[in-house]
Amino acid sequence: MQTTAFVILVLNSVSLINCGSDSFTEELFIKPLYTDHIYTHFHFSTIWDTDLQTEQFKHTHLFPRALGEIIKRHNVQELHLSLTAGLWRYETWGYPITSAPPGAELWVWFKQDTENVDKNWKELANSLSGLICASLNFIDTSNSISPEYSFRPNGAVADQTLNSSYLRYSALPREIVCTENLTPWKKLLPCESKKGLASLLNSGYIYNTRYHSLSIHFRPICRDLECDVTSIEVNQYVDLVYDYLILGVRNWSIRRLFGQGILGSCPLAKSSTVYVDMSTNSSIPFDLSPEPDEFVHSIRGGYTTKFAKYRVTNETLSISVSHLENSKVLINSPPVLHANQYLTGYGQELGGIVTKLYNNHWNNLDVVVLQNIPWYVPIYLHTLKIQANGETIKPISIRYIPGKLRKRPYYVEIALRLPPRSTTSISADFEHVFLKWTEYPPDASHGFYISSSVISAMLPLTKNITGLPQGASTIADSFNRSSGSGYFVQVHTETMVVTLPTPDFSMPYNVICLACTVVALAFGPLHNITTKRLILKPESNERVVDRLKQRLFLLVNKFKLGRAERAETE
Amino acid sequence: MASLVIYLLGAFVRVWLCTSEYRNVIADRIEISTPLNSWKRVTEGLHLLDLKIYPYTGDTLHEPPLHLLAYNFVVKSCGDYLYVIFVCCDLFTSYLLYTCARKYMEHLRETQNRNKDKYAKDAMNLLLTEKDFAISPQYVAVAYLFNPYTVFNCVGFTTTVFGNFFIAAFLVGLSYGNLLFATLPLAICISQSFYPVLLISPLFLQLIMKKDSKIKGAIAVMLTVGFWIAITYLSYNLYGRWDFIENTYGFILTVPDLHPNIGLFWYFFIEMFEHFRHLFIYSFQINVTILYLVPLSIRFRKDPMLLATSLLSLTAIFKSYPCLGDVGFVISLYPCWRHLFNYVQQGFLVSCCFFVTTILGPTVWYLWIYSGSANANFYFGVTLAFATAQIFLITDILFSYTKREFSLKYGRIRKINAKVAQLTLE
Repeated sequence: MQTTAFVILVLNSVSLINCGSDSFTEELFIKPLYTDHIYTHFHFSTIWDTDLQTEQFKHTHLFPRALGEIIKRHNVQELHLSLTAGLWRYETWGYPITSAPPGAELWVWFKQDTENVDKNWKELANSLSGLICASLNFIDTSNSISPEYSFRPNGAVADQTLNSSYLRYSALPREIVCTENLTPWKKLLPCESKKGLASLLNSGYIYNTRYHSLSIHFRPICRDLECDVTSIEVNQYVDLVYDYLILGVRNWSIRRLFGQGILGSCPLAKSSTVYVDMSTNSSIPFDLSPEPDEFVHSIRGGYTTKFAKYRVTNETLSISVSHLENSKVLINSPPVLHANQYLTGYGQELGGIVTKLYNNHWNNLDVVVLQNIPWYVPIYLHTLKIQANGETIKPISIRYIPGKLRKRPYYVEIALRLPPRSTTSISADFEHVFLKWTEYPPDASHGFYISSSVISAMLPLTKNITGLPQGASTIADSFNRSSGSGYFVQVHTETMVVTLPTPDFSMPYNVICLACTVVALAFGPLHNITTKRLILKPESNERVVDRLKQRLFLLVNKFKLGRAERAETE
Repeated sequence: MASLVIYLLGAFVRVWLCTSEYRNVIADRIEISTPLNSWKRVTEGLHLLDLKIYPYTGDTLHEPPLHLLAYNFVVKSCGDYLYVIFVCCDLFTSYLLYTCARKYMEHLRETQNRNKDKYAKDAMNLLLTEKDFAISPQYVAVAYLFNPYTVFNCVGFTTTVFGNFFIAAFLVGLSYGNLLFATLPLAICISQSFYPVLLISPLFLQLIMKKDSKIKGAIAVMLTVGFWIAITYLSYNLYGRWDFIENTYGFILTVPDLHPNIGLFWYFFIEMFEHFRHLFIYSFQINVTILYLVPLSIRFRKDPMLLATSLLSLTAIFKSYPCLGDVGFVISLYPCWRHLFNYVQQGFLVSCCFFVTTILGPTVWYLWIYSGSANANFYFGVTLAFATAQIFLITDILFSYTKREFSLKYGRIRKINAKVAQLTLE
């Protein structure tokens, strides 16, 4: 008994020596939005001081080993996966910490020494599909693109010259997110959902929301300012937007949101904190109870934000809010940049896709619009029209790779300068495609999804921005981090459903028979004309009945004759 | 003078429709623009060229690079007056058909005069008169100018307008037995839509018959293939890439785009069982290319013009992406055989069928695609009827031809030993 205890102790210390250089932080960020919504963001960050190039992921401590093995096997440099239900309303909610489109989105940078990127990509998607129980196995070359501008690596890169052929991006807008994805996702956390903030993620409560997004982000980061050595980081987020209408009251509390209070921090976490954004407190005053441990002020991009900070200890904590006044109607000031997307046209022959970009800033804004249009929506680039406030504008540059039936999607990336205070519409026409009958999904009239377009921009102000700067791993890192070059945001538009004309699924035999009959109608006469000779034949005036009688008579005679012959031989 | 008025009238109809608001509606009709010949796709290809994107990376464009270069030149030099090119091309086609029909009539007259003494005694009133010889070519020209199918084809700006022009040029070359004028347009046509490759056979037979030497025929075949290879090689040289082959010939032969058209392929291959797809693609392509080629070539070796017409007609029915332009072209050739119309048995049925399907096609398409109250079967039924009408027409003409041949030789009296007899094929 003693020896086993000793062995366990030794093994533990060995693993501590190997993997001791890692840390885990958990944060919960709560932000009441100006509308009747409340935004909560769970932020789990694991950093491991090891080199991605040499690490074998044989032993891990806090880092999820299942993910590590996948990263190693498929030569991944950086990986971003999100599974989302619902649509983030940029116009009223501002910007989230990470933007995600409805459905599943996966983008991966592979290492520069990857030989067959497409093969690795396909296998990686299959592995991830197994890891988090999502239908990522539908990702292949027919719906993946390599965008040149929109998805730059977030982490540290060895080589400054980036080759986007090592990048793959794909979105599955039809993917439905539910508990079967949450459970394996929680297993990647060091404390799983047993302890710490993750224990708040009860599926009975968090699916009762307007917007719900799970994500995993893996990247190498700089270990220090010189960036000679790198560490690896995996961030796991859950973004939820609750609606006061669904909650029933405006005075929310942790218990009301998640069904229970915080029952202590994860013992493996370096720090465990809850932040409540106080910026709406000035217009809709509320009281926090218990009193926060401290208030933190963050000045970023000309805007000061106040946060209430709670350190989670081993004691139970339930934060609750009581509003001081009755609800007021507030005028929402929309963020600097937001976008919409919709279909035009009627019938199932010709149609159009329109993306509308709104620039509410007083100055020009440079944006990149990325569209990944599936192969069953063939667009015509010559019909592309870009109009800002009714006037045609010229894009700074266009990247376009036309799609191919059943093989490759249409990839369009447009760099644009939006005029100040403008609405810009980008439109293109497409044709409806007729598919083979086996290519339609079981509910063929439901329609086919077109994934959302991605609009990327560097905003000069942090108005409505909660996103993290590039170097930051945690929310605490982002405080007081101003950036001269602007604040990067991505806006995902709505997904669209296009109904393609359907054949009659019950008809294959009939169609084959009828079409072959028409072919036979040509074959018969042509065969006769080309192989037979015209001759004159005496016309018989007999009626059909007589002729039949004659035939029958002949037949009977023949039969009788045969019988007689047989009788003779016998 | 009269012919000038006719041509002007033909031009007027086209220009009026081209400049009217109906042009876009006509150009978007699936019966007129197929993936293979639609001008929208050519415009897209030219736009990609302007952006320095290799136009064959996607699969919008199915015209060979050399043709695209020509279109580029035409579009750049005409601008807004592009329709002038299409209208002129169509008028020229009609004139070429007239020339070709006139030459064919001359040929008929010669044969008739040569064989007059061999004909049966009572067949004299079957012989063609001078009036017949004079009027048939005019009918051909008028049939091309005022056939709604060809008019819509021209107004829809399809590349079939150019295809028809080159086929007409080939037919002129064929009837005159001119090597260069027959082979070059034919090679251009083959590189555009592949199926005219069948027309090598009438060319070969014509040259054998006319020049009485097999070497000439062989030279014509070699020349056509040579031109074709040269065009393909030049196309390759433009970009230094071979993958346009997949987008042109590959597209025609493997039928990946199942957009509806007036042919038989689209619904058949939408509804095809996956494991039989290849088998049926092979059999349908064999059906349109070599199945009828050999027997028809043997049977009608004495009349290459008729052979060419029947091959054109059969390809217009059975090819993978047929359009009304092809059908209209073939129909306007039929007046060359005006003298056979007396023998045609299903004329009324066929004309009714053409009329009804032409009206019904767009109607059921609207019901299916726009109002959602019909389904694909309706449109499929209409295309089947349309194909059947065309089949009846061509087989009827060929039947009549053999009957007339018989009557010229054995007389018109259908009696054996004073008993009424019937003409049958056996």
